[in-house]
Amino acid sequence: MHKLFLSCLKATELIEKRLNFKLSVKEKLQLKVHKMMCSACSNYEKQSLFIEKGISLSQKREFTVDDIKQLKVIITEKLSDTK
Amino acid sequence: MTAAASNLSEWVETFTGDLYSWALHKVSDPELAKDLVQDTFLAAAEKIQGFRGDSSPKTWLFSILNHKIIDFYRKRVKQPVKIENQVFSKFFDQEGSWKVAQRPMEWNDDESNLLDDVDFKEVLNKCMDALPEKWNTCVKLKYLMSKNGDEICQELDITPTNFWQIVHRAKLQLRNCVEENWFEN
Repeated sequence: MHKLFLSCLKATELIEKRLNFKLSVKEKLQLKVHKMMCSACSNYEKQSLFIEKGISLSQKREFTVDDIKQLKVIITEKLSDTK
Repeated sequence: MTAAASNLSEWVETFTGDLYSWALHKVSDPELAKDLVQDTFLAAAEKIQGFRGDSSPKTWLFSILNHKIIDFYRKRVKQPVKIENQVFSKFFDQEGSWKVAQRPMEWNDDESNLLDDVDFKEVLNKCMDALPEKWNTCVKLKYLMSKNGDEICQELDITPTNFWQIVHRAKLQLRNCVEENWFEN
């Protein structure tokens, strides 16, 4: 395969790499060329970004006062066990 | 009760809420967050004789908790995953091209409102849960730690290549799972 051309495996890897790291100029160009020719990888990228958004929104961070109360009881018990 | 022990039980009363809120924010898993806060106090009980009050008790407890959180993630990202190499052969042929049946097609759905859809969220969560723990953690780390890839790798002591390759495999699986369970139904 020509140096400029990526396989789909490599292209999707760069798509994921770019979410967390900077791509080199060469990698950017390779990815751009690949996506122009490959609708599957273009779809993959769109869908991957969509899923990222879903992941970032789906982190559970709510809790109740009762959760804290229970936790205090458990910790207090554990602490007295170790004495 | 010794002075140290009475201090500690007072701190449990005062700081458990803040510690738990922070831990939950960082791991997004209630049971795990509770364990981490518990472990924090147990470690504090062991070390309390060495606590000289140079920092406030709150700062001290938070630093113990933060160590526990990083420790947890370090162990998690080092877990071996058995299916590591099967993922690529599921989706790609020997040349690295998509297998015909696996080629991502357009998702014919209005994606803009989908992320508010309760049923869709459930599918996404199930697909997340179906991933090996290590992969699940790696795709979430950016959002949990609020850090970029280089910082995450430094803190967790893994190489960037290793990290994005895990994310790559995880996302291939995840995308496929969401497609099968939502868009093809």
